[in-house]
Amino acid sequence: MDNPAPRPPTDAPILELRQVDKRFLGTHALKQVDLAFRQGEIHAIVGENGAGKSTLIKILTGAHVRSAGTILWQGREVALASPLDAISLGINAVHQEVVLCSHLTVAANIFLGDERTNAGLLRDRAMVAEAQRLLDDLGFDLRADAVLGDLAIGQQQLVATARAAARGVKFLIFDEPTAYLTRQDTDKLFRLIRRLNGEGVTIVYISHRMEEIFQLADRVSVLRDGQKVATHVVAETNERELIRDMVARTIEEVHYKEAIPAGDVLLEVTGLSGPGFRDVSLTVRRGEVVGLYGLVGAGRSEFVQCLFGRTKRSAGQVKLRGEPVTIHHESDAIARGIALVPESRRDQGLCLNMGVGFNLNLPVFGRISPTGLVDTGAERRGAAKQIADLRIVAASAGVPAATLSGGNQQKIVVGKWLNHGAELFIFDEPTVGVDVGTKVEIYKVFASLLKAGAGIILISSYLPEVYDLSDRLHVFSRGTIVASHDAKSAHPETILTEAIGV
Amino acid sequence: MSDISTAAIPAPKRPALKSHRFGFLLNLTLLALLVVLWLALSVSTRSFATFGNFENLLRQDSMWSIMAVGQTFVIITAGIDLSVGAVVGLTSTVIAMLLAGGVPIWASIVITLLIGGLLGAINAFGIVNLRLPPFIMTLATMTALRSFGLLITDGQTIGGLPLKFILFSSHRTLGIPNLFIIVILIAVPCYFLLHRSRWGRYLFAVGSNPEAARLSGVSVNRTIYLAYIVSALLASVVGVLVASRIGIGIATTGQGWELQSIASSVIGGTSLFGAVGTVIGPLLGAMLLTTINNGANLMNVNPFWQGIITGLLIIVIVYFDQLRRRKTR
Ligand SMILES: Nc1ncnc2c1ncn2[C@@H]1O[C@H](COP(=O)(O)OP(=O)(O)OP(=O)(O)O)[C@@H](O)[C@H]1O
Ligand SMILES: [Mg+2]
Repeated sequence: MDNPAPRPPTDAPILELRQVDKRFLGTHALKQVDLAFRQGEIHAIVGENGAGKSTLIKILTGAHVRSAGTILWQGREVALASPLDAISLGINAVHQEVVLCSHLTVAANIFLGDERTNAGLLRDRAMVAEAQRLLDDLGFDLRADAVLGDLAIGQQQLVATARAAARGVKFLIFDEPTAYLTRQDTDKLFRLIRRLNGEGVTIVYISHRMEEIFQLADRVSVLRDGQKVATHVVAETNERELIRDMVARTIEEVHYKEAIPAGDVLLEVTGLSGPGFRDVSLTVRRGEVVGLYGLVGAGRSEFVQCLFGRTKRSAGQVKLRGEPVTIHHESDAIARGIALVPESRRDQGLCLNMGVGFNLNLPVFGRISPTGLVDTGAERRGAAKQIADLRIVAASAGVPAATLSGGNQQKIVVGKWLNHGAELFIFDEPTVGVDVGTKVEIYKVFASLLKAGAGIILISSYLPEVYDLSDRLHVFSRGTIVASHDAKSAHPETILTEAIGV
Repeated sequence: MSDISTAAIPAPKRPALKSHRFGFLLNLTLLALLVVLWLALSVSTRSFATFGNFENLLRQDSMWSIMAVGQTFVIITAGIDLSVGAVVGLTSTVIAMLLAGGVPIWASIVITLLIGGLLGAINAFGIVNLRLPPFIMTLATMTALRSFGLLITDGQTIGGLPLKFILFSSHRTLGIPNLFIIVILIAVPCYFLLHRSRWGRYLFAVGSNPEAARLSGVSVNRTIYLAYIVSALLASVVGVLVASRIGIGIATTGQGWELQSIASSVIGGTSLFGAVGTVIGPLLGAMLLTTINNGANLMNVNPFWQGIITGLLIIVIVYFDQLRRRKTR
């Protein structure tokens, strides 16, 4: 664990919140929060899903207007009534969900709202060149003239980071920036954060990954239920204390795994090739977690998309329960008991404007409406069960999924397949943005699925997670499996090296 | 999903603006289609390849082209402007009334265009300030403006326009019909506005992800105002031109042209989901529709067939465009 570079010690707050309050219809998201950020520090904020972290950030960036309270910037009261207010003070953020324009190029996104022009005309070439220099300088392996929508989520997140760093910032906020990043990119991001911090930029850092807090931050504040419960100096606290502050209950163990005996073969894939991956062979037994690790873009997602019938295979064979199958379409896959919990919950996993209950029941509407009319009782019970089991924080089952916090949205995406009762579960980054407590809940859900005879394919860019949970781990690199290991038979560093492919 | 080469391997630095390439390819296809149509019509009819007919084609095309460009500005923001046909009708009656009342030509034009811009601002007000969906707001103004035109003219035709004004549309400058010159005079600044200025960039940003635009300090509201004002302003230009062309003011002029403008824009590669579109695309789209119209007339095709042909054409062109986009993604 490396120490942050020594900075001039200062206690003067650059930004201070006093009694800040935020209410949404039906939700009291922030309750009289007092919080001071010191000039030049790295200040972490932790809290459970729905604790109000993102709301706090949105208030600081002018994206939401607070309901009450004052905000002081360098001792002076400021309005922060619009994003422009925040930007002109030098406050910038990398938001939890990537908010960029997918139709524009990387360079156009980086300069959005701050274009370089000459006599009113855009200097596109100059912007691409400048953006490319910036990306190269940050060590991000991206092209400035690529269209953003062509990039994977993790890469888009890097663009958002570059963009925030490009804007002459004084105060930079990261809301779960590593959720979609690989180890390698996380390291780059941390280097960038330290460098900016060394240049005097005050950093606010939100994450559910405790080890990151201890690696990076000087101080850490804990939010629970919209209230600030504590601020600690990182060097004087520990994970146990933080978690206790966060959840006000103790959590037995963060990485939770029960030994479950493996049963017969559920899925057997031989030499499968398709768009973005080639020659993949693996087996999944009942009661087994098969982990797929690799860098973003290594072909893991492409492989499972094909398995799920979203893209056409060009070669190879898939056997399900011993029988060769051809899955042409998602509905084939679902009918055969395969469930995919996709990586991008906003685009692929949720009907954002529809209610929580609606989303939870989406895969089972066919079953609960045998006459064609929906059995609303079954609908209500199915929703209530998952909301209770996964502890989804929502005002009611009727509120739109869009109004839930990021982690709670993720729980819906997982929960809807639990209602469906599939046998082969494909989880693509299931714990992205999920707090420690819920992670344990999701791991427990894994265990109960496995006990019931299901098999799981787990994709995760978070090595500790795949490492701990997998009965067998396949490492992907450049579209194919480059190494396979039995549970914990290889050192994590080895796996990382294999994934990077050096 | 990303392709694996950009992620894992340092990619070669060659320009690869996929979305630009799509626009370019589509435009080439449309151009080729136009040439084929023109050749076919020249061979199969005696009157198509005549100077008179070609001029006529350009004149009719100029109306739809100008409207299609304005519509494209709106569609890029993921909106829709159903009121443009009604704006054409109303502004053409307004200018006819002004001219018939003895107001000088230049002043009549200025007043009419100001009214056009104002109508666009009203649309934007409903969408931005009242938060009505664009479809609903412009449907409402379409209905209301059409009635308003009939109301102020009492359903009568307005004649007695100055000859100088009427002759403008039938004259040519340097051999090119004046109306078509107006298209060029409008298309060029529109090109710079859409593709080369930051305002244009904001139109795309708002169409792509309004929240991202807002968080970047872009004024989403102002951008939407811009789009609808441009659209209505261009429609009012068409109103002026059409009054000159037919030499009278009729409140029902331009009925159904809103759909023509949407069709031209979409055929020209504009995506109704927003953030995809060019200036040249709708120009070509409008020319294609005009040619089909003109050709069908010359070939004595039952005019009822024209709509069917246009409908099928929209489906075919947009289908192939979608197909190609999906393949390359
Ligand atoms: N636009 C909104 N409308 C209504 N309620 C909202 C809205 N945004 C957030 N909330 C509610 O405010 C509370 C706090 O949400 P917030 O997104 O700040 O949580 P968070 O701490 O960032 O959680 P996570 O770790 O899951 O990202 C939640 O109960 C959420 O449902
Ligand atoms: Mg959040």
